[in-house]
Amino acid sequence: MSGHAPIPYTTEPRADTGVSNVTMGFWLFIASEVMLFGALFSSYALLRVSAEDWPVGREVLHLGLGSINTMVLVWVLVLMSRTRRARVGHYRPLVLAASALALVFLAMKGFEYRTEWVEGVRPATNTFFAMYFTLTGLHALHVVGGLIANMWILAGASSVGEAMTRGRLQAVTRYWAFVDLVWLTIFVGLYLL
Amino acid sequence: MRIFSTDHKVVGLQYGWTSLTFLLLGFLLILLIRWQLAWPADPLPLGGLLGAGNAPGGFMLPEFYNQLGAMHGTIMVFLAVVPLAVGAFGNYLIPLMIGAPDMAFPRLNMLSYWIYLMAGLVMLASFFLPGGAANSGWTAYPPLSILATSGQTAWLVGMFLLIVSSLFASINIIVTILQLRAPGMTMMTLPFFVWSQLVTSFLLLLAFPPLQAAAILQLMDRLAGTSFFLPSGLVVSGQALAVSGGGSPILWQHLFWFLAHPEVYVLILPAFGIVAEVITTSTRKPLWGYRGMVGAALFMGFMSFLVWAHHMFLTGMGPTMSAFFQVTTMIISVPSVIILSSLVLSLHGGSIRFTVPALFALAFLPMFGIGGLTGLPLGLAASDIPLHDTYYVIGHFHYIVAPGTLFALFAGIYHWFPRISGRLLDERLGRWHFWGSLITMNLIFMPMFAQGLAGLNRRLFDGGRTYAASAGFEFTYELQAWAAVALGLVQLFFIVNLILTLRKPRTAPDNPWQSTTREWQGRS
Ligand code: HEM
Ligand SMILES: [Cu+2]
Repeated sequence: MSGHAPIPYTTEPRADTGVSNVTMGFWLFIASEVMLFGALFSSYALLRVSAEDWPVGREVLHLGLGSINTMVLVWVLVLMSRTRRARVGHYRPLVLAASALALVFLAMKGFEYRTEWVEGVRPATNTFFAMYFTLTGLHALHVVGGLIANMWILAGASSVGEAMTRGRLQAVTRYWAFVDLVWLTIFVGLYLL
Repeated sequence: MRIFSTDHKVVGLQYGWTSLTFLLLGFLLILLIRWQLAWPADPLPLGGLLGAGNAPGGFMLPEFYNQLGAMHGTIMVFLAVVPLAVGAFGNYLIPLMIGAPDMAFPRLNMLSYWIYLMAGLVMLASFFLPGGAANSGWTAYPPLSILATSGQTAWLVGMFLLIVSSLFASINIIVTILQLRAPGMTMMTLPFFVWSQLVTSFLLLLAFPPLQAAAILQLMDRLAGTSFFLPSGLVVSGQALAVSGGGSPILWQHLFWFLAHPEVYVLILPAFGIVAEVITTSTRKPLWGYRGMVGAALFMGFMSFLVWAHHMFLTGMGPTMSAFFQVTTMIISVPSVIILSSLVLSLHGGSIRFTVPALFALAFLPMFGIGGLTGLPLGLAASDIPLHDTYYVIGHFHYIVAPGTLFALFAGIYHWFPRISGRLLDERLGRWHFWGSLITMNLIFMPMFAQGLAGLNRRLFDGGRTYAASAGFEFTYELQAWAAVALGLVQLFFIVNLILTLRKPRTAPDNPWQSTTREWQGRS
């Protein structure tokens, strides 16, 4: 770092905007993510309405696996949001448990892909599966991102102090909420409708 | 100066030097094109150096011509002008103008530069792939782009990286402006330059992700054999394509222009900001109608998300859609007019000092005016249908981006150079640079309107010599080629000026233009 004054409002809110830099930056990031997935979901809708025939998601996808995974992901968020009220130092097992569940999600998703692969389904099979693999794959990458963020917070907790860690936990919890929301949209749009 | 620095000035300068290098590269590509268009039947001088795969015996192959066209557009828009306008000017000046110690997230800032550089290197490296660089236009329309050689994959990867870089930069700029303003500096006392960067960053933040989504889908089409953008029953070289089909090429155009129309305001807003600062300094008067200009910039930013399909009037959209986009396009020209008028009115009654930055800023006004006015017929479907994909469109946006935005950027460089380096650039060389660029650019771009009105298509590697429409235009092509060579030569005045000045001692006064904005008060 160069020798200038420290950056103000990094974690403490600024009076006239009411938020800290990290919080504002986080929401801007989410706004761009909404545009990213928004564009993908709109493409999905556009391709679907203009298609002559379109497979029924519940018939061609593994609805059971998808439903269990939905529950798993909801629990990740539940555990993460519990960290908010956990006493000093007690968020650690919660974050670890949530991360373990996120791993379960990825493992089940991998199993689902494998099953589909064995059944001979590929992204190139038709536009429905093209969309399915693209959306779920991109979403899975976001789960991996969340996992990395969880680990990064735990690893840094002792060096950055309690207030900073709490701020980071809050941001990453919101991120998980976004990841859940994207999944729910995928689940409804692809598996159910 | 550390190479991996998080200091906003260092990052700003890194963006500056890199984007100027890309500007030169992008120019050299188009110089080849202008020569080719003037004398398509002759070998290019030194054409042998391009390699037998691109120009055997010096004769340019159409395939190579297409690469030059696609990469010129890509480099100029994404790697030269926007990084210079936002990455360089924004990073260097915003913290100084608002009294902030640095950008809000210095490490993210550094990262955004390095990812941008990586994106640029990927794009350049793609020239050496089999089949060369991307060759489906800077707009990368499918199905062409999906069937294209592997350079297109590199293009998509490059764009993906660039969008990540632009995401980091735009978050940083928005948070810096909103959060790190000096105490007591309210939003309505921000310099107009800072406002222009704020609106620009919102456009980058919200418009780029849909292109990223589109790039992902196109990558899937190219690498995983999907058909997002491939229709059913596509026949290529007499063979039905073995894909599932069912996709929509038009979908790509929607996603692309949803980004790329806001992108044109990304190209122009920072220019407005720079011109506003240079003009107020040269006339020693405050801006006329500051509030109106801020309002216009915000309205323009918002509206720019609602006009994209005016690039697609020929795709067979229904009259309702077409009417909607014609109306929004007419509406969005209003804020441009407000800003341009305010800038002109700001000159009124001032005693203008015709310094080099002032000359560039003043020339910006009529040049942007020509670009904007020629846009109106394009915004109405009836007149756009014959003009679409002709040289008229190229003339329209080059007036805005070249003697428009680029002139504003030059004005900014001459204006802030003493603030950055402690040295004033030479005025005499600067004048040669200015008049030379102004004259040659007009000689290059003005004939395009006539060519376009005559119906000359913008994408033909022989300039459309086999079509009747080209009859009588040979001399304009030759004029444009010589003017392009001359434009290149007068840039030497600028380059030499930079080199000579940087070797002189730092003798510039602290505030050589007696400017009143914060970045000139007190040195750090
Ligand atoms: C002021 C009002 C403006 C209007 C009404 C307008 C209208 C249009 C229209 C309708 C087109 C599509 C033409 C076609 O392809 O048939 C077009 C193309 C274009 N405009 Fe503008 N424009 C305006 C300002 C700008 C500005 C400020 C920029 C900024 C740089 C710009 C950059 C472009 C570019 C880059 C293209 C061509 C893209 C391509 O096809 O490669 N325009 N304009
Ligand atoms: Cu447009």
